[in-house]
Amino acid sequence: MVHYVRFLLLGFLLLPLPALAGGKVYVYNWTEYLPEAVLNQFTEETGIEVVYSNYDSNETMYARLKLVQKDGYDVVFPSTYFVNKMGREGLLQPLDRELLPNLAGLDPQLLDKPYDPGNRYSLPYMWGSTGIGVNTAVIPAGEVTAWEDLWQPRYERQLLLQDDMREVFHMALKIKGYSSNSREPAEIEAAFNLLKKLMPNVLLFNSDSPRLPFLAGEVNLGMIWNGEVWMARQENPDIDYVYPREGANLWVDSFVIPTTARNRENAHAFINFMLRPDVARLCVEENGYATAVLAALPLLAEEVRSSPIIFPPAETIAAGEFQSDVGEALPIYQKFWEQLRTGN
Amino acid sequence: MKSSGRTERLVTVLVSLWLVLFGVVPLLLLVATSFFAQDPIDFFRLAPSLESYRQLLDPGYLQVMRRSVQFAALTTLLCLLIGYPFAWYTSRLSRPARVLVLVLLMIPFWTNSLVRTYAIRMVLGSQGLLNQALLALGIIDSPLRLLYTDTAVVLGLFYLMLPFMILPLYACLEKLDYRLVEAARDLGAGFLQTLLRIVWPLSLPGVYAGCIMVFVPTMGLFYVATLLGGARQLLVGNLIQQQFLNARNWPLGSATSVVLILMMALMLTGYWLVLRRLAGRRRQ
Amino acid sequence: MKGVCRLGFFLGIFAYLYLPIVILVANSFNANRYGLQWDGFTLQWFLAMAGNASLMEAARHSLFVAVCAATAATLIGALAAIGFSRYRFPGRRLFQGTLMTLMMAPDIILAISLLVLFVVVGISLGFWSLLLAHITFCLPFTVVTVSARLQDFDPFLLDAARDLGASELQILGRIVLPLLRPALLASWLLCFTLSLDDVIVSSFVTGPSYDVLPLKIFSMVKVGVKPEVNALATIMVGLSLVLVLLSQLLLKEREGYGPLR
Repeated sequence: MVHYVRFLLLGFLLLPLPALAGGKVYVYNWTEYLPEAVLNQFTEETGIEVVYSNYDSNETMYARLKLVQKDGYDVVFPSTYFVNKMGREGLLQPLDRELLPNLAGLDPQLLDKPYDPGNRYSLPYMWGSTGIGVNTAVIPAGEVTAWEDLWQPRYERQLLLQDDMREVFHMALKIKGYSSNSREPAEIEAAFNLLKKLMPNVLLFNSDSPRLPFLAGEVNLGMIWNGEVWMARQENPDIDYVYPREGANLWVDSFVIPTTARNRENAHAFINFMLRPDVARLCVEENGYATAVLAALPLLAEEVRSSPIIFPPAETIAAGEFQSDVGEALPIYQKFWEQLRTGN
Repeated sequence: MKSSGRTERLVTVLVSLWLVLFGVVPLLLLVATSFFAQDPIDFFRLAPSLESYRQLLDPGYLQVMRRSVQFAALTTLLCLLIGYPFAWYTSRLSRPARVLVLVLLMIPFWTNSLVRTYAIRMVLGSQGLLNQALLALGIIDSPLRLLYTDTAVVLGLFYLMLPFMILPLYACLEKLDYRLVEAARDLGAGFLQTLLRIVWPLSLPGVYAGCIMVFVPTMGLFYVATLLGGARQLLVGNLIQQQFLNARNWPLGSATSVVLILMMALMLTGYWLVLRRLAGRRRQ
Repeated sequence: MKGVCRLGFFLGIFAYLYLPIVILVANSFNANRYGLQWDGFTLQWFLAMAGNASLMEAARHSLFVAVCAATAATLIGALAAIGFSRYRFPGRRLFQGTLMTLMMAPDIILAISLLVLFVVVGISLGFWSLLLAHITFCLPFTVVTVSARLQDFDPFLLDAARDLGASELQILGRIVLPLLRPALLASWLLCFTLSLDDVIVSSFVTGPSYDVLPLKIFSMVKVGVKPEVNALATIMVGLSLVLVLLSQLLLKEREGYGPLR
């Protein structure tokens, strides 16, 4: 008996005491969307510990946020159309501008948008696109130039798709010539019917880090974010990014603070830190997405600033379409998405 | 006995309360949720509805059900085919050898299953060990597609579940009176006859227990299908996880799990009936 | 000939069970990031892992929950098994049935039913919800392990003690618990492992304030091959090795018994 108690006591002593709460900020972000060095730098400068976790789609993030009724995440990075939805549903708290002096450096073109008038709840973090990733060592450059090309039968069981409803529907809606923010049930159904034909070509769904299956040689063709290709090219320059002819999917992700956040001040400190030009620069150079911090642009290395992968030419942007909220059409998308996923 | 009864009664009541609170009540809540209406914003709406059960009859969901039963059945069969001779040989070993084999079986079994699934992935990848070995030996010219296939999922499930089959089988075969086998041999029975007429019938409780212990959890192991099957929705477990943690359709997720529970109940009842019949036959 | 076949069979199965683990462990010391070839010995992945603050915090959380859950489940389970073996009460079968259902149900059923309970009752997701869930799924295993041990008891031992004037507490402390010690320790170890291993239940019932190791591993593994994960996995393999050997030593007295799960 004595041994038993001693054994248990030993077990407890071996455990370091949990650190005291207070000096923490809980950050919930997309996978591979913020350099670890930046987090460490933030902790070094402010003494605030960052507890960092990841999600792979807006829907997962949203479901998690709704589950957590208190002591939730402090900073989250939803895409525009979810900022709108979450703001409407009272999941977000207004930002305190006094605590965010660095917001002066933000690109005015990305502020005061219809999804968040006056930037009451959100500030833009980075923006980018979803296009096509190609390993040119296997699939010759120029063979794939459009979303449509992914439907070719020769790519049977070879494609990687994002595990993200809106992204996948974007392709089909664009091929059909519709808006990728369509709310028309008939258009969404037409897109669904087209996507059903794509399913035999799909090998896997991954929106955590789509570059890794490319680097591991599992896939050579698929949907991917521009920054993922940028990161992949540091290791394998054969992997290339194609802006599809029908138009890439353009998105902006924003910083928000949920109402369930418990470290409001630390959250603001974190966002303010992220808006600093030198920090924004690190994010661009490491993750390969365009920053909303204008003042960071002159700091960028020449090859970063001139990369069409990160900063697409104006006509490419014009050809693409920015994501926005689809309102009541969301359950329609959801229903078809499930049919797509269960049917394969 | 009177005085001792009081503490014991108190303890039993407390533990029963725990079980009711965290075992029975949640299950009832789950069943209740499956009869609520779906809601686009909240997890469910407090209105009665059979919509979720109707939705389960959609061809897509039926297909997921059918496929996961197939996967689980295939895994169970594979485990039985490999596990049975394994358990039999082990039960015939000398004592130290038997302990060694069992310990060697326990080590992977006690190792984090996620870590082991990940390890399988390293073997099966396009540039994984298996492909590299086959390429080096000149058996194939280009890497085989192994990862993100149904085969990979079944191999992974088999890898994780094999000990669940072997342990109950072994427990049963170990108790088997070997003199029966020797008697059968002496009376001129061949290998097959001895196996089919003596060993197999006597090991049936172990076989059923093993099959249930493999089949039931397999249906829920969503992460194996995610990691080895390319995140396509292959198993019921993936569907339930998706409904709860992504699509926020709790009624549908609950209805799916109610079906799963019913399947499990059916299997357990079958097991119980078989055990009773076996016991009855032995008494005669 | 037959012996060779049998040996080959055993070797084949063990190769299948161990090869992936061996590769994993080897790669955790491999300087090549993707483990495609051997580029020399390194400990850098272990250092990278130790430097990852979120990972280390998750590991601390996991160990803490595992110790608490194992201790609580063993205590409750042992008391239940004792009360159960010595006291006939109405609803005994229901009790047994509930335990069996809890043990047999796929983890995902337990996970979502507890999630629904926590959300309905308003328990916020975090340490407490996680602990309650872990105790619940460990409980059946402790009851079964301890009950198995109790069945081997000589019932006259307790009667003798009582006749000699021992109080109920004395019987418990001096006779029952010492005799149960191996079973208690074994079930503690089993629960500890189960808790540390659990992905399915934890992914539903924990919250942002209490991230645990298996969830961290899952999100890292989903992304792809990461050398830090190999390092972490190696440590976990080592840990389970120690636990198995420990539990086998403890259970030596009861031959032929393996903690079932």
